[in-house]
Amino acid sequence: MGDREIEIKGNEEGRRISSRLMEERIQEAIKQGARQLHITADGQHGIGGRIWPREAPVRITVEGPVGQRLGSMGMEGTEIVVRGGASDDVGWLNSGAKITVLGDVTNGAHNAAAQGVLYVQGGAGARSDTLTKHNPRFDPPQSWYFRDVGDSFAEFKAGGISVVCGVNPRNPDNILGYRPCVGMVGGVIYFRGPIMGFSAADVRQAELTDEEWDWLKDNLKPFLKAIEREDHYGLLSKDKGQWQKLVANTKAEKAALKKGKVAVEEFVKGVWENEVGVGGIFAPYITGDRSVLPYITTGEDRRNRPVWENEKYSPPCACNCPTHIPTHRRTALIRAGRLQEALEYVLQYSPLPATVCGQICPNLCMQSCTRGILVDSPLSIDRLGSLSLDVKAPKPAKKTGHKVAVIGGGPGGLSAAWQLALKGHQVDLYEAEDKLGGKLELCIPRERLPQKILRKELARFGEIGVKVHLGARVDRKKFTKIAKDHEVVIVACGAHRPREIKFDGSDKAVSAYDFLRGINTGKALKLKGAEVAIIGAGNVGMDVAAQAFGCGAANVTAVDIQKPAAFGKEMEAAAKLGTKLLWPKFTQSYDRKSRTLHFKDGSSLKADLLVIAVGETPVVDFLPESIDREKNGWVKAGEAGQTTDPKVYAIGDATRPGLVTNAIGQGRVAAEAIHATLMRYDYMPEIKNQIPYERIKTVYYEACQTGVSSAGGDNYSKQGVLTDADRCLSCGSCRDCHMCENVCYWGAISRVERPGGGYEYVVDDEKCIGCGFCAGICPCGIWQMKENL
Amino acid sequence: MGPVKGPDKNHQLTLKELPYIIRWRDDRCTRCGRCTAVCPLKAIAPEVRVERVVSSEGMVPAPKVTRRVVSVVSQVNDIDRYCTGCAMCQLVCPNAAIEPEFNPEHKFLHVKNKGGDAYKRGGRRNDPNPSTLDMLKFTRISMLTDPALDAGRHEFHLRTYLGRILPPKDLPLKAGGDGRLVVDKGADVFVPPVRQIYPIMIGSMSVGALSPPMWEGLAMGVAYLNEQLGMPVVMASGEGGMPPRLLKSRFLKYFILQIASGYFGWDEIIRSLPHMVEDPAAIEIKYGQGAKPGDGGLLMSYKVLNLIASIRGVPMFVDLASPPTHQTKYSIEEAVAKMIISMSMAWGFRVPVYPKISGTKTAKAVLNNLARNPYAAALSIDGEDGGTGAAYNVSMDKMGHPIAMNIRECYLDLVRQGKQNELPLIGSGGVGKKGNLAANAAALIMLGASAVSVGKYLMQSTAGCLGDEHNRCNLCNTGRCPRGITTQDPKLYRRLDSAKVAERLVDVFKAADTELKKIFAPLGRSTELPIGMSDGLSVGNKEIADALGISYAC
Repeated sequence: MGDREIEIKGNEEGRRISSRLMEERIQEAIKQGARQLHITADGQHGIGGRIWPREAPVRITVEGPVGQRLGSMGMEGTEIVVRGGASDDVGWLNSGAKITVLGDVTNGAHNAAAQGVLYVQGGAGARSDTLTKHNPRFDPPQSWYFRDVGDSFAEFKAGGISVVCGVNPRNPDNILGYRPCVGMVGGVIYFRGPIMGFSAADVRQAELTDEEWDWLKDNLKPFLKAIEREDHYGLLSKDKGQWQKLVANTKAEKAALKKGKVAVEEFVKGVWENEVGVGGIFAPYITGDRSVLPYITTGEDRRNRPVWENEKYSPPCACNCPTHIPTHRRTALIRAGRLQEALEYVLQYSPLPATVCGQICPNLCMQSCTRGILVDSPLSIDRLGSLSLDVKAPKPAKKTGHKVAVIGGGPGGLSAAWQLALKGHQVDLYEAEDKLGGKLELCIPRERLPQKILRKELARFGEIGVKVHLGARVDRKKFTKIAKDHEVVIVACGAHRPREIKFDGSDKAVSAYDFLRGINTGKALKLKGAEVAIIGAGNVGMDVAAQAFGCGAANVTAVDIQKPAAFGKEMEAAAKLGTKLLWPKFTQSYDRKSRTLHFKDGSSLKADLLVIAVGETPVVDFLPESIDREKNGWVKAGEAGQTTDPKVYAIGDATRPGLVTNAIGQGRVAAEAIHATLMRYDYMPEIKNQIPYERIKTVYYEACQTGVSSAGGDNYSKQGVLTDADRCLSCGSCRDCHMCENVCYWGAISRVERPGGGYEYVVDDEKCIGCGFCAGICPCGIWQMKENL
Repeated sequence: MGPVKGPDKNHQLTLKELPYIIRWRDDRCTRCGRCTAVCPLKAIAPEVRVERVVSSEGMVPAPKVTRRVVSVVSQVNDIDRYCTGCAMCQLVCPNAAIEPEFNPEHKFLHVKNKGGDAYKRGGRRNDPNPSTLDMLKFTRISMLTDPALDAGRHEFHLRTYLGRILPPKDLPLKAGGDGRLVVDKGADVFVPPVRQIYPIMIGSMSVGALSPPMWEGLAMGVAYLNEQLGMPVVMASGEGGMPPRLLKSRFLKYFILQIASGYFGWDEIIRSLPHMVEDPAAIEIKYGQGAKPGDGGLLMSYKVLNLIASIRGVPMFVDLASPPTHQTKYSIEEAVAKMIISMSMAWGFRVPVYPKISGTKTAKAVLNNLARNPYAAALSIDGEDGGTGAAYNVSMDKMGHPIAMNIRECYLDLVRQGKQNELPLIGSGGVGKKGNLAANAAALIMLGASAVSVGKYLMQSTAGCLGDEHNRCNLCNTGRCPRGITTQDPKLYRRLDSAKVAERLVDVFKAADTELKKIFAPLGRSTELPIGMSDGLSVGNKEIADALGISYAC
């Protein structure tokens, strides 16, 4: 058939042929060599597409009503001219065909075209030029519209060139329809005439470059020629300024757009604060710095700060000692090689360290010792007391000229007199007996308190200038004189009147006080083979029991109405000798004749001797009525021994029953208060809480397996691998070990010498982040983390 | 004197009792102390530990004891200082040496009642299971059956109405001069005020509960969304007033003022009335909240510093309790009548006024009362997973009503009365609990809510709130929020940059907007919210399907 012109009719004898037949006829004709096809269509779809390139171009003219998808999947070498308008999707998936429509096209023109050309003499419907591509191996597709295009133009356009000439548009205000270019990522749209917006998130409007203008002018000519509108060339090419283009935003431009027109930060400064005021809505209420803080802060901004609380708390030993003897300071001196000073130091607190600490005290210090509770065994503080036996008396301070009287030469009176004399006051000590020592002398079994120790310490007491009046029993008259002659009187007369319990035969019983005193003064009862019963199983009862055995008793039984209160050395001594304890036993009567003690429960006990050891009350008849007493005769006294007479202080057993160490402690406290009064300054008792055990880092200390213990020997000389001074945990008291300084990652802690002597560890706030490692590592519990308010 | 006792080690907790266990790596730790400096409850502390090695070298037994005391970071087994799992230690550790690990076998609630104090915490209900909202699926995907919309291409108008909508027959309309319909101002009909808002609202979190940068950050973000992006997002103030600077600004129109039973901050609001250049978006009357149904508000004294004291009109350093009920109002009739009318009056009936209640079986009773009240603008229901409050754990975990069914029942009730388009329902409580903000919101809307309200999700997503469903952190009530979100301590809240919060809020809403479009486009909805469009929902659980009246799909 060659070059001849073939005519294909879409309607044969009044009957429309199907799109399938039309397509088959076109393909067949071309197969037969036809290169010029004239088609009279009758609404057939897909005309002119899928024609593979042949040696010569295939030219197709179409007349009549054209169906959809004309030239779809068109190939290079196919040229289609439609004499009139075309329906939807002209040039769909065009891959190279040149399609000219001498009229309008409806919706979807050149949809997804990747190559080829579409020339439209009129305008286009909606969604034209959508999804067009540009395969880099080929020229981009071109779509030319002489008039205008419909809504949603060029959606998802990825490549290709669209040209909208804007001649005689249907909508004079908008030649690109509603919201073109949604999702457009490539290609370009050249347009001439007014538009009403586009998808600004995707594309931007710009001027044509010179190259583009040249290209446009060059390519206008064939377009206008093809659509038979060459006369418009002048109009369309005369002014570059009439033309604009839409191009896809780059990724960076899109990202910038996504952030919003104004960055939030700018909005805050420029809009928000402009309306509500500088600093924002809360500015009137917030005065401080409002800059953003990092999580790790220093200085003022730290959440916590460390505080060096050296000696803020009392160690358990000192806290539980009624005299508050600071054993931790003694061990610190020993660790520093100053043993003698350590031994002397205790005399600032007690005149009787060897007698009391070393012999008769239950050593509350040791019972509470952190080492004993949490590591192994307590420091042998008793031994430390004993070591001070031979220490000379300290030198008293300069005479003050003040005069103080102390009534009673027992432990309390000795303590108060000692303290006041050391402070330089003139002290008169009145003792009813002919020896000092009170119950230490009269009642404590010599086995527990060897006399030579007491003698030695009493001799030392005698060296500090206290004027001792022995055999000086004080009555009301004498008291008045003493009070007149002294600025302050301290009543330390002890308690000697046995507390009575009334039962049938109670008058036949002996008091513990008389019994014990008799032994220590050489008037011991003969008890060989005797059965001894003691009512009251406290520590005095135990002393009675031990002494009764010493006097030859065969059996000793202590009874009590409740669980025996005895403990410690007294209890051990009595138990060792075979003392029996019976409780609860309520006494009914004592029959001296049958030597039987009857109890209310019907039981009975053989008792050649019955001793009542339920305590004593003081004999204070010599005191004026102005000094108040408690119910049982005890003198009413405050913490520091103050009575209702400001001139008179009362301490020890005269005020309440207690241990010897209590009496010594009260003597010292009263002396401090009296000293303050005499020297005219406010008495501020030093009140320290016990450091919580949890704060002591006991893991530093290994339980002693081969070292020393308190079981004997001199634990404080440097003979063993570890002395007791080293074993001391220095609770609450800095041992100057530098652990904190070394653990601090930030180098915030340093040790500085104090100008007046001593040292402290200090924190550089600008380096410290408040982590608490200093507190976590401190062996002694000195560093404490506080909220940094 | 009895024997002196040492520390009681017999009644200590093991770490296994605690909800989080610190994993600390000795080999990586430099002992820099950052972790212990930042730990909000001091649940970790520097300590010393002894290492004792007994070894023998050579050919015969030759024991050698080596003892070392080393500094370590250790976890504290004090219930008052339990590890909350906040992971601030991990955040600041430069060496990845420390992190908390959730302990599924913990017995926290067995022991967190020391001193007889019932456990109080911040956050909301802890329930790691998916909520009903999370189980709902959007099963109606239009492709060839309905006009398919494209979320990326089509324009959407995701808006809802806050305010009572009069049915057309009740609207006093008349023909104007140009033939258009105009409102007949002469007619004796009250036309309620209505706001067109974005369907995701920001729930009530008070100035006071939130730190200044957090609250202002959200507020700035809201202003930005409205003014820069044209998204009419509104934010409820929470109880506790607002700073006058905001009350007197044009931004007020983006905010809903809440009045609650404590009536905090209302003197400042009333004093600001003559100076207001805009009306607020609405007034919310709080009768209940999801975080602690049946319980009132409580702001602990250490949060009541100058700022809060001034804004709320109370002395500093006092505990501020809002009673569970409004003190002078005892019935629905009384409460609604008094409060709604009074609040409406304050702004000349130009502002929508609606009550907010906790999710409850009695919600329908409230709804039916409101349905008959021409001044009621909406009903807001806060379901059991809702809230960001500080409350007793028992209130948070065990009280309240799930929101899905509550909204559904109320909506269907309105449908039966033919009023579903008149009185909007606002649903909240666990929206975004598992991160599915838009999906949860869409599901709730399709069950019948006109809008949803979100709080916790926003704290998590805009400011990095650490709270999760395993009781992680939940320190909001203590003033020790490690992120600076719920604290009034400047040392903590200065960790938070309000501009960053605003920026994140904008991110969140932009992203949620996209997701809502992705959900609504296949339903063929772009201009009207699919409120109550339950035929688009399914659930893979027959009982839930039946209860909600939606289809079952598996």
